[in-house]
Amino acid sequence: MTPVVALYNIKGGVGKTSAAVNLAWTAAEQGARVLLWDLDPQGAASYLLRIKPKVRGGGSRLVRGKSDPAALLKGSDHERLDLLPADFSYRKMDLALDATKRPTRGLQRVIAPLAEQYDYVFLDCPPAISLASESVFAAADALLVPLIPTPLSLRTFEQLQRFVAQDVAGPRPRILAFFSMVDGRKALHRKIIDEVAASSDGCVLQAAIPAASDVEKMAIQRRALAGFAPRGRAVRAYEALWNELRPRL
Amino acid sequence: MDARGTQLLLPDGMSGSAAADRLAALVPVVTERAYSIDRTFWESFDGRLQRAGLALAEAGGRLVLIDAATHAEQAGAEHPRAARRLLLEDLPAGALRDRLAPILELRALTPVARVRSRLLPINVLDDLGKIVVRLRGEQSAALAAGAEKIALRPRLHVVGVRGYDVDFDRVLALLTRELGLQHAPRPVLDDAVEVLGRPVGGTSSKLRIALDRAERADRAAVTILRRLLDVIEANTPGALTDVDSEFLHDLRVAVRRSRALQRELRGVFAPEPLRVFRDGFRELQVLTGPTRDLDVQLLEFGELAAGLGDGAAADVAPLRRLLEQRLVAERRKMVAGLRSERTRALIRNWADYLDALAGAPEADRPDAARPIADVAAERIGAVYRRMVKIGRAIDDGSPHEALHDLRKKGKELRYLLEFFSSLYPPEVVKPMVSTLKGLQDVLGRFQDREVQADLLRAVGDEVAAMEGGSAALMAMGVLVERLAEQQQQARAEFAESFAQFAAKPQRRIVARTFG
Repeated sequence: MTPVVALYNIKGGVGKTSAAVNLAWTAAEQGARVLLWDLDPQGAASYLLRIKPKVRGGGSRLVRGKSDPAALLKGSDHERLDLLPADFSYRKMDLALDATKRPTRGLQRVIAPLAEQYDYVFLDCPPAISLASESVFAAADALLVPLIPTPLSLRTFEQLQRFVAQDVAGPRPRILAFFSMVDGRKALHRKIIDEVAASSDGCVLQAAIPAASDVEKMAIQRRALAGFAPRGRAVRAYEALWNELRPRL
Repeated sequence: MDARGTQLLLPDGMSGSAAADRLAALVPVVTERAYSIDRTFWESFDGRLQRAGLALAEAGGRLVLIDAATHAEQAGAEHPRAARRLLLEDLPAGALRDRLAPILELRALTPVARVRSRLLPINVLDDLGKIVVRLRGEQSAALAAGAEKIALRPRLHVVGVRGYDVDFDRVLALLTRELGLQHAPRPVLDDAVEVLGRPVGGTSSKLRIALDRAERADRAAVTILRRLLDVIEANTPGALTDVDSEFLHDLRVAVRRSRALQRELRGVFAPEPLRVFRDGFRELQVLTGPTRDLDVQLLEFGELAAGLGDGAAADVAPLRRLLEQRLVAERRKMVAGLRSERTRALIRNWADYLDALAGAPEADRPDAARPIADVAAERIGAVYRRMVKIGRAIDDGSPHEALHDLRKKGKELRYLLEFFSSLYPPEVVKPMVSTLKGLQDVLGRFQDREVQADLLRAVGDEVAAMEGGSAALMAMGVLVERLAEQQQQARAEFAESFAQFAAKPQRRIVARTFG
């Protein structure tokens, strides 16, 4: 079975899209065939890969099984990385899913026929907790949660863990997290990372992504980091994250 | 991740970069840094990857399965070791092995060509600066023995990006219309294989013979037997070095087919030389039999042992070791026999005899000049009727030899139908082959279980004396019981499959077509 990894956080602006694009790119670079589905109606992952955020027929037809998802895929600048682009209609994904027989299985139905062509599927999810999120939980084998090392972020992560454990029916995804946008100069960041490392039950990965300017430049370059800063510390951090995550999938 | 792709030939004097320069005047392109790569291409003896439109390239310690036309990567894995041949089980578990499994089955991969290439990636961009078509100029040379380089025709790979078909069509049209490039008739690997003097698409052991109904029977026999001799000779080196078990299998099938034709078309040969050759071919069959039997035992061992469950499956490990030891010993004998002057003389003399047959005196060859359609029909009809007779005599109390005899006749009929299928209407031959195949499957299962059980009984004492032998012996007892049950099941199915084979409508068709 092809592992499905959802980059997910209830909060926005925590580095989900950067992680989704760079992890997918890294996996492809290491020889895997990778699909990234940009589920965020803002279309940031599509933008970074220079692919128009447009899906013929929109999200509603897609989750209702009226569109062939394979015909909607776009190849990226990496030969082994394909994208199912974002579409502005995804903002109404909850309504579209609600109109189907089994709303929480809607995304899984789209992914299943595509997955056999790929070694890994990544989902770049919008920041929310909604019906669409529940469909993500049903489709994903792992939720990968970027955490900014602040107390509020940790609190939100605990809320997510509780929600999935208590309110998600059926097979639940494994929840893994990593520290994102880490500023090593901030004592608070260092303290929280050290505390989590000491007390973690293994669900927070050791590799952390720095708050590097290279990551911000992705939006200017419109490329994955490896395409314009291949030797930077941010690239190395994503590689370390992928190498740590891969055996756990 | 399938992408469209094609290869275009670059005309003499036009390099990949010159093509890129001319294209740059028409569409936005970015040329990347050129690089060199040495690749060794692996293929099965019978060209399975080529037929599947694939190629397996090894470079830098990595094996990559590519689409032969687009060179798009399908799957990859670390190259396991510096091996001269690769079987499926030599590959690490993963996508490459999974992808190759249904294509290769039991066949091994061996290196067929080394190619040194200078590649120039050229990307065609859209208005967002995104790659929408990938081009790659390729200047390659096949590396022959002694490091001699044989230049191959330069080409330009044109590979589409998924979801950008319009751009692919546009760029391809520019390249063919504006730059006048022609489509390459085949992948670069095929060019390399050819200049290296190897058969493009591998070597087939299939017959594929078309005969003329009015053709003299001896000429038709020579056509078929010559082809079978080619198969024997082509498969002998691989059988000797045990590249994979299919070489010996194909060699033995060709020997068996030759023997069937020697027997069934005996009237086209002079009796005395035929007797000598039939003896020689029988010896060849006997010589190769034990090795093939052990090959089969070991190939089916996993499945057989798996039926015992996890614990007991491990118990039969001593049996496996014993079979492997026996295989080594039997193979040694077989190799010596195949390499002997006696075998070489048999093959040489048989080839000479076939070459001279059509012009040989006909006094003692009564069927030689008759039309092959008449002779073949007589034989097919006779073997079919013989099978019906043998089969009708079989009941629940018949010894297993009776079923074995029927199976042997069935193989003969199958071969005759294969040799002469081009002479008769397919609507007659196909259903006949189909019911025959159903019957042969049942008889084959019956016989295989008998052989397997015999072997287990025969090696019992030896296995018992080995380390871990007691547990193995008990597990083997279970296996023998299970084989007996399966054999009984096959026997129970016999009546129905034979009834279909010998049904009145079938007999009527045979009588009408073959007399």
